[in-house]
Amino acid sequence: MVFSIGGRRLAVKTLEVAGISPWKPPIPVGSRTPFITSVARQGQAVLPVFDLASFLRLRVQGNHPLCLRIKHPLGDMVMCIDEEMPVLHTLEPAAIQVYRGKDMPAEGSYANGLDEIPILAISQLGSCMK
Amino acid sequence: MSIQEQGVSAPSARSSRRFLIVTISGRYLALDAGSVEGVLTIKELESGEDPAIQGVIERTVSLVMQLGGSDAPTHPTTRVVMLTDQEVRGSIRVSDVHGILEIQQAQIIPLPSQFIGVERHWYQGMILFENSIAMILNPTWVLQMHAGSDAVQERETPRSSMDTWTIGVSNGRTC
Repeated sequence: MVFSIGGRRLAVKTLEVAGISPWKPPIPVGSRTPFITSVARQGQAVLPVFDLASFLRLRVQGNHPLCLRIKHPLGDMVMCIDEEMPVLHTLEPAAIQVYRGKDMPAEGSYANGLDEIPILAISQLGSCMK
Repeated sequence: MSIQEQGVSAPSARSSRRFLIVTISGRYLALDAGSVEGVLTIKELESGEDPAIQGVIERTVSLVMQLGGSDAPTHPTTRVVMLTDQEVRGSIRVSDVHGILEIQQAQIIPLPSQFIGVERHWYQGMILFENSIAMILNPTWVLQMHAGSDAVQERETPRSSMDTWTIGVSNGRTC
């Protein structure tokens, strides 16, 4: 699934996507964990918010951003993403290449026209990030 | 990390717990009722005849900066919650007091494992409250800040009864 954050396109494996909903203001907890300083309530669930935009030094675009709920090994997390609706891309495994960027944990990337779209390594988000 | 792992006794899931729900810098916080000695206003503290009360005012901790919020000006009606834990006493300034919430132990949500910083020592879990959540403050941590500022207070101070703040509770919600 391809989504945007700060206008930059990123991909995440659909198996790691738990849902998409409108973004609601998170509840700050004043934590000292890098990029995880608030929580979001979704029904009876309280989920940590990973601030991917800050991590990438970007700003979420749009007046109606979306909430991307992802399946993290330690439990579901949510991220605020651009209001642009995510789209599904089907890839052949052979199309996945090594991502050479150092700006995010990635399982690889693929070429989409002139763009290189990194595939986020969800399991590495939040673990000892500075 | 579970509540038990944080050194808090873990009663059975069906046992009930009582919390005083307060607001600090717009955030709901829950204080174990067993650690709350009373709630006074600054004006009530200042009008007390016991000279030790002045010390209480001076040593009252604002958690706003610790929790990453913005401080609000103090007024005579600003409320101060008196806390005790293992014979250590202290007090915190709060924006508002919402009342006592009684819930089942099983309704306490552990802090998500993704939080790996010192906040694991600040909070003992979370409670669903209204359309938001209340973070359960660890009284030991709060009072450690008092101890750090030589604020350990062993003597009794005048305080209002906790019953004053008890409000109707139904199914984990104040009403």
